[in-house]
Amino acid sequence: MDFNYVIAMLLVALGLYCLLLKRNLIKLIIGLVVLTDGIHLFLISLGYRSGGAAAIVSGEMFSDLPGFAAQAVDPIPQALVLTSIVINICILALALSLTIYAYRHYGTLDPSKLRRLKE
Amino acid sequence: MISHAPILAILLPLFAAFLMPVIGILSRRRGIKRAREWFAIAVVLAEFAVVASMLPAVWGGQVLVYQLGGWQPPWGVNLAIDGLNLLVALIVAGIGTLVMIYSFVYMERDTGLDQYYTLFLLIVAGMMGVALTGDIFNLYVFFEIMCISSYALVAFRRKWQSIEASIKYMIVSSLGTSFILLGIALLYGLVGSLNIADLAQKLGQVSPSAVIVPLALFVTGLGIKIAVVPLHMWMPDAYQAAPSAVAALFSGATATVGIYAMVRVVYTLFGAFAIGIMLAALGLVTMVIGALMALAQRDLKRLLAYSGISQVGYVLLGIGLGTVLGIQGGLFHLFNNAIYKTMLFMIAGAIIYRVGTSNMDQLGGLWKNMPVTATLFVVGALAISGVPPFNGFASKWMIYVAGIEAGQPVFTIIALITSALTLAYFLKALNSIFLGQRPKHLSDVKETPLPMMFPIMLLAVLCVVFGVLPQLGIDIVRPAQEAVMNSGGYISAVLGGA
Amino acid sequence: MAGMTVIVRTITRLLFPFTFLFGAYIVLHGHLTPGGGFPGGVIIAASVVMLLLAYGIERAETKVSFLQAEVLESIGGLAIVVLGLLSLLLGVAFLQNKFPLGELGQLFSAGNLPLLYLGVGIKVAAGILLIFYAMLFAFRGDEK
Repeated sequence: MDFNYVIAMLLVALGLYCLLLKRNLIKLIIGLVVLTDGIHLFLISLGYRSGGAAAIVSGEMFSDLPGFAAQAVDPIPQALVLTSIVINICILALALSLTIYAYRHYGTLDPSKLRRLKE
Repeated sequence: MISHAPILAILLPLFAAFLMPVIGILSRRRGIKRAREWFAIAVVLAEFAVVASMLPAVWGGQVLVYQLGGWQPPWGVNLAIDGLNLLVALIVAGIGTLVMIYSFVYMERDTGLDQYYTLFLLIVAGMMGVALTGDIFNLYVFFEIMCISSYALVAFRRKWQSIEASIKYMIVSSLGTSFILLGIALLYGLVGSLNIADLAQKLGQVSPSAVIVPLALFVTGLGIKIAVVPLHMWMPDAYQAAPSAVAALFSGATATVGIYAMVRVVYTLFGAFAIGIMLAALGLVTMVIGALMALAQRDLKRLLAYSGISQVGYVLLGIGLGTVLGIQGGLFHLFNNAIYKTMLFMIAGAIIYRVGTSNMDQLGGLWKNMPVTATLFVVGALAISGVPPFNGFASKWMIYVAGIEAGQPVFTIIALITSALTLAYFLKALNSIFLGQRPKHLSDVKETPLPMMFPIMLLAVLCVVFGVLPQLGIDIVRPAQEAVMNSGGYISAVLGGA
Repeated sequence: MAGMTVIVRTITRLLFPFTFLFGAYIVLHGHLTPGGGFPGGVIIAASVVMLLLAYGIERAETKVSFLQAEVLESIGGLAIVVLGLLSLLLGVAFLQNKFPLGELGQLFSAGNLPLLYLGVGIKVAAGILLIFYAMLFAFRGDEK
């Protein structure tokens, strides 16, 4: 029934696995993206209602607002997910730029090699 | 109070951050020198005035509620300011102003200062947003604004140190914010609200077993932000690699904001006073490990970072005890920590500015060259180690007494031992930087320039003032402590007595 | 970056105006249909990025230079804040919709919402473009 919740949590687990065990910066970033996408799927599923209408009022629905509200999906998770996607784009862009610089300085993408600071 | 002060406090730095690239371009075209710097300082000063204008109303026991777009809570996003919010906002605005003045000279040798000031103002806006908002998702968004700007600022100089530190910081911290987002999603699924006051009210009727997972996610996520010990690995790297002005801002203001979020979420939102003792235990571990690690460091900024971790442990211990004295002591220590930690990082920056390194093996005997800086360092070191008559003593004493009063004398003993350790590693730092043999090439090092000295001196004066007159500091934190203990008042003020 | 073959270039040249227009449509109808400032802005940025990939960075920079993108991004951000502050000047709360609402479903309706979407659209388009430029410049440093 609630397949999407299962998938969402699988994605979160997959992302965590990737973050903890992979030894490549690009893969770490992919793991981060998969993790947050799992959370996004979870959030969207919270507001979903099977057969529900998009939460956008157009002319003919305006006369029957309570009836519309009874069958529309919850718009708040969608707004939250959109915001979160924007934030994740920023993180992704910054992460990839940093990876470019890291590769230039270290000549490798292996995060375990990035430990010169500790000496 | 300036009308619309709550929203102006967030908008002012945000607006200035967007304006900064344009000002940078214009000042280069027209050849106006230092337009960015003066503009940025004017903005943070105005910011401080706006925040200070809210003081009388909030200290009078009022909870300021500002509705964005005129939507009533719990539907709309709102800003809610009680004593706790205001204390944090005051620290952020004050430290932001001083660090901005400090940056004026400290950053002058760097290029790309447009980006520096833009990111700096964005961090201030993000911190202010976290401190003032009354909406949990809004808190997450401002947290992300703050964090993304801070990753970029850590990497600002693009040397290998900063890139490495920034990548570590970013991956760990993004994981933390993802946990916070997941926690918010779970809460929304549970009760269908995002307003902190509304959530707090509705969570009271939910069975406690259902809120354990979101609570754990929040504590873990915020624990990464404030570098509680098992999750602290990013912090020394980030503080060591960031420009000292940025590290000063992080240790003074960002850490404070993280602790604020922890207190607000755990105590107001979840009403989970029962897990306070767990926070206290975490704080204890944090303080001991932080101090032990600090003893082994050879780099001044890294040492300061570990000592920052250790001081956060004290704050958590005080707040976790959950008694009036404990929370008062914890918040007072938070306030003091912002003062002397910022000051010590600024001194580290001054040494780097004049000598070019913060590695303590290569320093020594600088007392003759920088007598004023050295004296100020001693003030800071004594304050942080809790030696009277400086402010660290007053707040640590309150935490010790609170530990005994709460029936946890073991906590107090461990905190006392950690204090001795703190003194030990600061004496070591003092010895290897300002005393001892002076390497030959350091003989013509000059005193810290005056514009950099001014914020350091101001903070040192504050250290002494709050040490001699602790009652003054306690008066400042008492409204915050009352706000922590009185989440019912917060809820009814936001929801209009609903 | 050198650019691509003549097939790619021709198709890109044909597609560019339509993609750009579609992005602008999404931005301007943000208050009426799904979409809005962010998706529309991304589509606009994608159209320029398409040019950039097909013709190389030098050609794309003649359309929108780095500096222009930076200024545009600032203007987009400022527009949002100014709109919010305008509500304060009109005597209501920040971002409160005090403009004439018009008729539901019309293009010029919903008070300040279309203007906000426009600001967001400009900011996002310029921002995404800036990210691309910044990354390309990072690579360009590699070649030197």
